[in-house]
Amino acid sequence: MKTCLIVDDSRVVRKVAGRIVSNLDFQVVEAVDGAEALAKCRDAMPDVILLDWNMPVMNGLDFLRAVRREKGGGAPKVVFCSTETDRDHITEALRSGADEFVMKPFDSEILQSKLAEVGLI
Amino acid sequence: MQEATFHALADLALNQTGQYIAPAKAYLVATRLSALVRREGFASCDELVACLQARPNPVFEAEIVAALQTRQTWFFRDRDVLARLVGEIIPQKLKGSKSGRLKILCTGVSTGQEAYSLAILLGEHSQVLRGARIDITATDICKQSLNIARAGTYGHFEIQNGLSIHRLLDHFTQLETGQWQASEELRRGIGFRSHNLLDETAPLGHFDVILCRHVLSGMGRAQRQKAAHRLTDKLAHGGLVFLGEGETLTGATDRLEPSHRHRGAWIYVPEGQRQVA
Repeated sequence: MKTCLIVDDSRVVRKVAGRIVSNLDFQVVEAVDGAEALAKCRDAMPDVILLDWNMPVMNGLDFLRAVRREKGGGAPKVVFCSTETDRDHITEALRSGADEFVMKPFDSEILQSKLAEVGLI
Repeated sequence: MQEATFHALADLALNQTGQYIAPAKAYLVATRLSALVRREGFASCDELVACLQARPNPVFEAEIVAALQTRQTWFFRDRDVLARLVGEIIPQKLKGSKSGRLKILCTGVSTGQEAYSLAILLGEHSQVLRGARIDITATDICKQSLNIARAGTYGHFEIQNGLSIHRLLDHFTQLETGQWQASEELRRGIGFRSHNLLDETAPLGHFDVILCRHVLSGMGRAQRQKAAHRLTDKLAHGGLVFLGEGETLTGATDRLEPSHRHRGAWIYVPEGQRQVA
């Protein structure tokens, strides 16, 4: 079973995204910010990371740059999920190592389509 | 909704567009007509039908049947078919073409995502298709959907459904409204036209490839047969028809049969070679 790490400081977003990816047969791991997510990645690299942008302690962009420097950190597919949806933010996320980008709010079709884009379903 | 109202609306759809609406889908009729009912100041679909029967109005009838159509579509739907079409079939057809020109028809294109997906893929294969002229004509019966398709402008949910972020950035521009619009190059490359697949009189020309996906399966049996015949009228010599995943023409027409060479495609069967049912 593939693992999906959901990194978001919103409990509601984690719950909604978690339900969607569970239905797609992913095992779900949650983190409330980038620092907690980095610790979980050092413990075990997930197959895919759904990543919020604005979070306390360590934001999504800092986490992404940090995780890509970790051993095995190039492997997980990273799908940014953010309300920062202008072209500049999206481009910055992709340049920093994201594989896909979901503009919030999203539904199950969108998330499914993005996971298909990165080759995980 | 009264039973007589449902049957009047279902008959209208069947006669004008071939769309078959089962009685169990009466709730869909009410949902899809709700905006029209409100706009025209009717209290219900019953009132709308009573008014239409008292004062028949072909323009309003056309608007009703357009509203009843299924508009569900998304970018790169049945992506394997599109990839095979652009990566294998079109290059093969171009090799056998003296003019270097191919014509593709997308029927029932709704708000245009299939036509744009095809245009994006053709652009991505431009090295292989160098020098070829590929015309895309996209048709639908619903003028409102075609207006959206022509504008190439999609909202937050539509633009993300099936389209990768890389293709979004490459081919679309974000508008001040937050919507995303297809590039002028993409929009210019597609001819959007209002067309009813059952219409025998409106000529569209002949096409090397016809995409008719998720259209025929929603039709009544007799209308599906008629539509299949109209498709064969539009096929160029050696042309191919592609249906949606899970759709078939077996039992609907003897003029088309599955292609042995191109998986998933249907080809024209000349008159003397048709199997007698």
